[in-house]
Amino acid sequence: MIQVEALTKRYGSVTAVDGLTFTAPPGTVTGFLGPNGAGKSTTMRMVVGLERPTSGTATVDGRRYADLPAPLRTVGVMLDARSVHPGRTAFRHLRALARTHGIGRARVDEVIGMTGLEKVAGRRAGTFSLGMGQRLGIAGALLGDPGTLILDEPVNGLDPDGVLWVRGLVRGLAAEGRTVLLSSHLMHELALCADRVVVIGRGRLLADAPVQELAEDAGSLEDAYLRLTAGAVEYRGRTAEETGRAATGGAR
Amino acid sequence: MAATTHASDARAGDRPQVTLPRVVAAEWDKLTSLPATAWLALATVVAAAATAWALGLFARPDAGGSGAPTAVAGYVLAQLGFLVLGATTGAGEFRTGTARVTFVAVPRRIPVLVAQVVVTTAVAALTAVVALVAALAATAGQRAALGLGLDVGDAETLRLLAGFVLYQTGVALVGLGLGVLLRRPDAALVAGVLLLVVLDHLLATNPGRVADTARALLPGAGARLLQGDDRLAALDATALGPHLAPWTAGLVLAAWAVVLLVAGGVRLRRHDVT
Amino acid sequence: MTATTPSSLRTRPTAARTTSHGPTLARVVASEWTKLTSLRSSWWAAALTVAVSAALTYLSAQASSVDPGFDPMGSLTSGVLLAQVPPLVLGVLVGTGEHSTGAFRTTFVAVPRRWPVLAAQTVATATFALLAAVLAVVAAVLALVPSARSRGIPLDLGADGTPRVLGGMVLVLVGTALLGLALGALLRRPVPAVTVAVLVVLVLPVALVLAADLASDPLAASASASVPPAQAAVNTVVTFLPAGAASLLTGEGAVEGAPDLGAWGGGLVLTAWVAVPLALAALRLRTRDVV
Repeated sequence: MIQVEALTKRYGSVTAVDGLTFTAPPGTVTGFLGPNGAGKSTTMRMVVGLERPTSGTATVDGRRYADLPAPLRTVGVMLDARSVHPGRTAFRHLRALARTHGIGRARVDEVIGMTGLEKVAGRRAGTFSLGMGQRLGIAGALLGDPGTLILDEPVNGLDPDGVLWVRGLVRGLAAEGRTVLLSSHLMHELALCADRVVVIGRGRLLADAPVQELAEDAGSLEDAYLRLTAGAVEYRGRTAEETGRAATGGAR
Repeated sequence: MAATTHASDARAGDRPQVTLPRVVAAEWDKLTSLPATAWLALATVVAAAATAWALGLFARPDAGGSGAPTAVAGYVLAQLGFLVLGATTGAGEFRTGTARVTFVAVPRRIPVLVAQVVVTTAVAALTAVVALVAALAATAGQRAALGLGLDVGDAETLRLLAGFVLYQTGVALVGLGLGVLLRRPDAALVAGVLLLVVLDHLLATNPGRVADTARALLPGAGARLLQGDDRLAALDATALGPHLAPWTAGLVLAAWAVVLLVAGGVRLRRHDVT
Repeated sequence: MTATTPSSLRTRPTAARTTSHGPTLARVVASEWTKLTSLRSSWWAAALTVAVSAALTYLSAQASSVDPGFDPMGSLTSGVLLAQVPPLVLGVLVGTGEHSTGAFRTTFVAVPRRWPVLAAQTVATATFALLAAVLAVVAAVLALVPSARSRGIPLDLGADGTPRVLGGMVLVLVGTALLGLALGALLRRPVPAVTVAVLVVLVLPVALVLAADLASDPLAASASASVPPAQAAVNTVVTFLPAGAASLLTGEGAVEGAPDLGAWGGGLVLTAWVAVPLALAALRLRTRDVV
């Protein structure tokens, strides 16, 4: 279980996360949503102790991440698929990670098999495609057979087959009673695999509700999301027509 | 809680599973799994041996003299290899993003630094011993022809040979400290070269009491371990700063390594890993 | 704007459109200049070059101003060695930056012939380094003023080949930046490139001289008037390194036992150190894939 309470992170005058409170309960896939720059990755990094909160707390199974006796066996984390030295092979990357917890070689081979990396495990990670890097990141998260998983955009760059596999994987993990916190921008995908969603914008909580409920109220999860974040989007693209209008408007 | 049905959690209890020996094993695995490490070690050995051999061509015949100064003469060039080893071990993970994975696995962070010190010391010392043996082998013929002996029982010879290994290991640890502190391998490397080579060279071209004192307190002072007794006497005859004994000068290098590593450790604990 | 565009513009033939909209060298240079000047590290490097040049020259002049035969111009070049470091690193960062960040994908898609990018980086880096170098040399001259004034010695910048020394200092700083760029573009990865750059520019000359010192008998060396053969050999090697070229260019003359190539010779050596790796980098860009 992940519990986030009044979590705040400031970088100088910029507030990235602002008094955020939510819980990701066990046996559930919790989707973590928000526009670009909403503070999702910062929140995830604070949960796993990479960044120090300015105030507030984040705990896993009631403990601060740094106090966990065996972090990888409690929490599996994939934050950024490109967190591998390009000169190291996938197998050696996973084995070095496993060694910190005395996890045996058999388990390393097992997660390589689970993620379908057998054929490329001996290749340098620098030669991997985005999807292969993503699979390697997921393999690292599964290594300690953890009760809680934190996955940042796990389906990003995966082929349709891989997307289906991740969907089955997270559903299966939750069915085993594990906690899964998963961020994604793919509404359709989240509607299929998440039980509940936490939506944030500009570092604040916008909604924390079952997927079913949100989708029924607004017609679809995507509509619900767009309505919720309408006032919290920091970076918005415009159509060419809008841009032209703005430019001529400015020239006058 | 449902999650505790997993066998691993049931076994885990509260005993910390991330032990120092395990973190050391992981760091060892990381360093040795990079082809760059082997290439770097090879280049360092070749640089040390080739410099010694090239200078051996010009050594004067001196029956009964020691061949040790010639054998260790390549240290100035070879130290760059040790500096790179330390700097990339300390800062490379921050550049590639591997730091995120590492510090998620070891959230208390300091064991990683301690393990890096252990692993860097081991690899640096091993590389230095191989480089020394290679330099001795490369100059063996020249030493025999010139009548230069190599009596390991002689205190001065022993100091030069052991000093080579100790100095290079110290340089690697200075590089590691700079790497952890600066988190960028290129910046750590430039800072190390400035500290070890350039500043000393600049101060040497402007001699004086202040400059000579500063030189004696720079990490490069540790290189006095590698100078023969008569050469130290010749250097001290013109220097106005403190005349440190070779082993004391070695401690100056050690102190730099310790201070930089402690500063790196403080930064590692306090600052976010992004 | 759009409303007043003549309709003939839209119906122009395709060939004409390619020349007017495609990446000309001037446009690539402008693009590289924008990249270079939009990085904070470029400005830091420039500021450090000027600051180091001023500070070291000032300290050196102050230290030697107590000597009876003090000549302020003798301290003019004392900051050059350390002031070379920021341009060198800046050059390496520009040369490797595209490859280490993956930005090259964007760049080479925009400029598929690739070599104009390298040429443009060279022009942009040379221009930026030239500005920094001129400021650094001005700063060095100004840093001489306090000690010269304290001894009542006038600073004559027109005399005794001083203009050539000033020009040489600028050339050394610009050449060092370009050497960094060339090595960065050739090696593509920042750590190996910085290693080779500091090795060639900073470590090798000092290492060789010290090693020759170490290997030769100190008593014999001071007793005989001639230069020992080991040192003569080392000095000859150093002359053909960027450091030797720099001392020839800044009017410090040849080192003992080495051939005196003169300022022009020094300039040629430095040019070769820039041109050879740049040519190799261009060749690598043309013949190898960028991944």
